[in-house]
Amino acid sequence: MNEHPPESPVPPPVAHLELKAALLLALLVLLLVGSVLYVMYARGVFEPTQRLVLVADDSEGVTVGMDMTFSGFPIGRVRRIELAEDGAARILIDVPKKDARWLRESSVFTLVRGLVGNVAIRAYSGVLGDPPLPDGAVRRVLVGDATAEIPQLVTATRDLVRNLTALSNADSALTAALGNVQAASERLKGRHGALGLLLGNDEDAKKLVAALDRTNALLARVDGLAARVDGLVAKADVQVFGPEGVMPETRAAIVQLSGTLADARNTLKQADRLLAEAQAVATNAKVASADLGTLRAEVESSLRKVEQLVNEINRKWPFARDTELKLR
Amino acid sequence: MAPTLSPPGALTDMGRALLRWFGGWWRVVHLGAQLLVLALSPSSYTRANRLAMAHHIVVGTAPMLLWFTLLSSLISLVIIRIVVVTAASYGLSQYALQMVVRVLVLELIPLTAAIFVALRIGLPDGRELARMRLRGELDALRQHGLDPLAHEVLPRTLAGAFAVLMLAAVAGLVTLVLAYLTVHGFTPGAFERYTRTVGQVFSPAVTLIFTIKTFLLALAVSLIPVASAIYDLPHGKARTSAEVRALVRLFLMMLLIEAASLVGNYY
Repeated sequence: MNEHPPESPVPPPVAHLELKAALLLALLVLLLVGSVLYVMYARGVFEPTQRLVLVADDSEGVTVGMDMTFSGFPIGRVRRIELAEDGAARILIDVPKKDARWLRESSVFTLVRGLVGNVAIRAYSGVLGDPPLPDGAVRRVLVGDATAEIPQLVTATRDLVRNLTALSNADSALTAALGNVQAASERLKGRHGALGLLLGNDEDAKKLVAALDRTNALLARVDGLAARVDGLVAKADVQVFGPEGVMPETRAAIVQLSGTLADARNTLKQADRLLAEAQAVATNAKVASADLGTLRAEVESSLRKVEQLVNEINRKWPFARDTELKLR
Repeated sequence: MAPTLSPPGALTDMGRALLRWFGGWWRVVHLGAQLLVLALSPSSYTRANRLAMAHHIVVGTAPMLLWFTLLSSLISLVIIRIVVVTAASYGLSQYALQMVVRVLVLELIPLTAAIFVALRIGLPDGRELARMRLRGELDALRQHGLDPLAHEVLPRTLAGAFAVLMLAAVAGLVTLVLAYLTVHGFTPGAFERYTRTVGQVFSPAVTLIFTIKTFLLALAVSLIPVASAIYDLPHGKARTSAEVRALVRLFLMMLLIEAASLVGNYY
């Protein structure tokens, strides 16, 4: 037994042993390398990214590697969470360059906490025409907490229930009002119906009915009176507009009046003509008086010349002391 | 062995057992170190040794690969279906995929592959080596100037480790594909989102722990049965056979590795 050759335990040989072994090795290497590459791709190692910093008061629930979504699509990953100098939480997010176009200067970021404590970071871009978000931008994140609403909701509900209880109490205003409504409806069903309900007691209702009856009688008499007034009006009509009435005579008088007016107009025209002639006479008289003025001026100048002549003679006549000129 | 022992005798016996237990583990570690050195030295890869490695790899892994893949696919499919349907019924379907990847790819498949290889390759190899040692074939090799560690033990160990990695890789890939098909159906449209989810699960820390765990499992499965076979006492001093003791040691080791990886991942 001790003399066995060392190679004896090798079982029957396998065909193409080395090739198969090489294939298996290659397969394993391929799988391992492929897995590593796939995981690296899945982690976004090969994507060029830009950095976005979200500042929150509380980063509870946010984990490294979680997604930031836009319209439900993951467009960024949380890379780090750190505490800033002022105590706020800084959430550093890597956004692939190809997805960064969804983020704009005016984008809003929210950190929403669900009912079971799950946290989601969401981005909203209202105006896609705004300039794109720069690399390394720092934005404040709005925190929306579904559970934060619950205490308020409970308080509001409690108030509501308290009000409802107060309303439905036996001594509440609503109950009293309902009782009154019931009494009113009982009265409605009574003998005087809605009238009894309105007036409060049956006596007044009776009075009202009596008043109504008397009003009816009065209305009947008013009807008779109106008939008589109608007859009166018909008579007056005949008096005024009939063939012998006032109106035709009035019309004839008006015709006569218009004839008289035409005569008066003719007379006035003749007067006009007379006046025009008188005006022409007056014009002639004015021309004549203008000629008289000229004549007088000429006479005056002749007289002045004569006076000058006499003065001249007097100067030249040295013996004459009497310079007075006497006109004879 | 005496049926009844006086208390001092029992104490001595316990001490001796403890010492033996530690000695056993020490030998495993020592052998592991020796084999690691051998695996890293080029002189171990002579043509004869390469042929022996090729033989063990092909004979060990190839027949198992198909069966294991089929079996793990079936179980994975059932588990994926259960997880997805349950999560959907609670309205948590966005977490179903992550959970499937974590539970199956990260935890169950490496463990299953290790157990499978331990039962199909590690333990039979250990038995074979023990038989060779009993027959004196290893001593004969040594007399011929050949190192039995390099010539008989190293190829088996490497083949065992290779089988674990291979099965885990193939089954993991198949499970990822099955998870995609179960959740999204036969459409390539959801590939981006699925890849993102997988990327979220495989964070650097998780990936590192997963890799280390798988390598340690492969090492344990291929090393411990062989070490037990080479070093354990052949005569019937212990109540259990060397094989069962190797199995217990192996499962203890796997439990430790798995626990350590869980602690690393989730604490």
